[in-house]
Amino acid sequence: MDKIAITGIGVVAPPGIGKRQFWANIKSGRSFIKKITRFDAQMYPAHIAGQIDELEKYSTVSERLLKKIDTFSHMALIAAEMALNDAEIEIKKEDPNLVGIFLGNALGGWLYAETELRDLYIEGREGVSPYLASAWFPAAPQGQVSIYYGIKGFSKTVVADRASSLMAIGYAAKVLRKNKLNLILAGGMEAPVTPYALLCCNTYGGLSEDNEHPQEAYRPFDKRRCGFVIGEGAGIVVLENMERAKKRNARIFAYICGYGTTCDGVDRIRPAADGKELARAISMALTEAEISPEEIDYISLDGLAIDIWDYSEVRAIKTVFGSRAKEIPVSCPKSSFGNLLGACGVVDLITTILAMEYNLVPPTLNLTEPDPEGLNFVKEVGREYYIGKAIVISRGRGGINSVLVIEKA
Amino acid sequence: MDIKGRIKDILVTLLKVRCEELKDDLSLEASIGIDSTEMVEVVIALEKAFGKKLSPKEITKFSTLNDIEKIIQAKINSPQ
Repeated sequence: MDKIAITGIGVVAPPGIGKRQFWANIKSGRSFIKKITRFDAQMYPAHIAGQIDELEKYSTVSERLLKKIDTFSHMALIAAEMALNDAEIEIKKEDPNLVGIFLGNALGGWLYAETELRDLYIEGREGVSPYLASAWFPAAPQGQVSIYYGIKGFSKTVVADRASSLMAIGYAAKVLRKNKLNLILAGGMEAPVTPYALLCCNTYGGLSEDNEHPQEAYRPFDKRRCGFVIGEGAGIVVLENMERAKKRNARIFAYICGYGTTCDGVDRIRPAADGKELARAISMALTEAEISPEEIDYISLDGLAIDIWDYSEVRAIKTVFGSRAKEIPVSCPKSSFGNLLGACGVVDLITTILAMEYNLVPPTLNLTEPDPEGLNFVKEVGREYYIGKAIVISRGRGGINSVLVIEKA
Repeated sequence: MDIKGRIKDILVTLLKVRCEELKDDLSLEASIGIDSTEMVEVVIALEKAFGKKLSPKEITKFSTLNDIEKIIQAKINSPQ
């Protein structure tokens, strides 16, 4: 099958804005989770998060535009600019009809929405910004990136809970393979560190309430697991057909070789305990990639740090990889900065690409006593290792399974 | 401050544009590329500032600063 080249990377995440700073902090094994300082969150059962400060320092977005958009669109604009610069693409020289945007998001832009809705009830309809209608909804960042660059090709926003951004990338790869577009900006963004969004996340459950130990609160696959921690951020990658990327002498970071997605279909929140559908998604992605399980060098785990999610994920990996499951290095680097919900898949993908580039399996902070056992967990310290082919797993509530297979260029 | 000065002030404050970009005889669309949502915000702000009811149909993105000044002046002069 045709491989899709990843030629540009833009990341806005708690460990860093820009891939160099991001990777330096990921490999260091430092935690970027702390008590929420943006607003008084003390009354929430879980009030810790991976936050991004001083976003505006990295932004070229005008004040005029900033007042019309939510933070999640702002982060997407910064990530898009970084990705295009990284890919050395001048968008003005591209045919705008053949450029697409595929982004994933789970919650929408709540800081803008909740602030204006408060004004609606206090001041009446004239107190509400007219921009609210176009600022809050999940497809707003896609629209803003499109307007900013004059991009006019087939585009999509995918809303599939935490699997949103990896699903958007998988979808984008399929569209590129049909030669309908020349290039796609693909990824996702999420801004859940707001009073209402945090309330929703708390209500949903599954959050770690170890507020007194923020840096140790997110412990995926560990016996002491007690739920995940949210984080905010965005990641966008530039995708092109391999032929086109080679023709323009682009630097190719990795190839997307296969994608698989399935649904568990058992509960509106929990996944299926047997992990069978996740295993089917992994097999589907490997089959599409024409890569055997024996060839995989690294697995980036979803790692929600909730019993049924961690157990079913390990079960699925054992189902597909059999006896090799205990050999392949696996890790869940997001325990150091939080689960970026709709944006976690693309950030995991970016982490995996950087891991390939620097031959280092990133660590899983706070994993000391694996539970369940049986996988080759890379725990608190990163491990030097050549990664030629890797799998990225991203799962959404209710058992949405999304799996990407990538290969080093 | 005269009416036109106040209108300019509102546009600069609301839309974060520079005063020099505003031209008396150019439409708001031509001078500062105003869009329809920005126009809603501008009309509401003008209504508040001058205490007069304005319709988005009488002040549009195709209005010039001179047009807007005339409309507001007429409303102020109107006995109602």
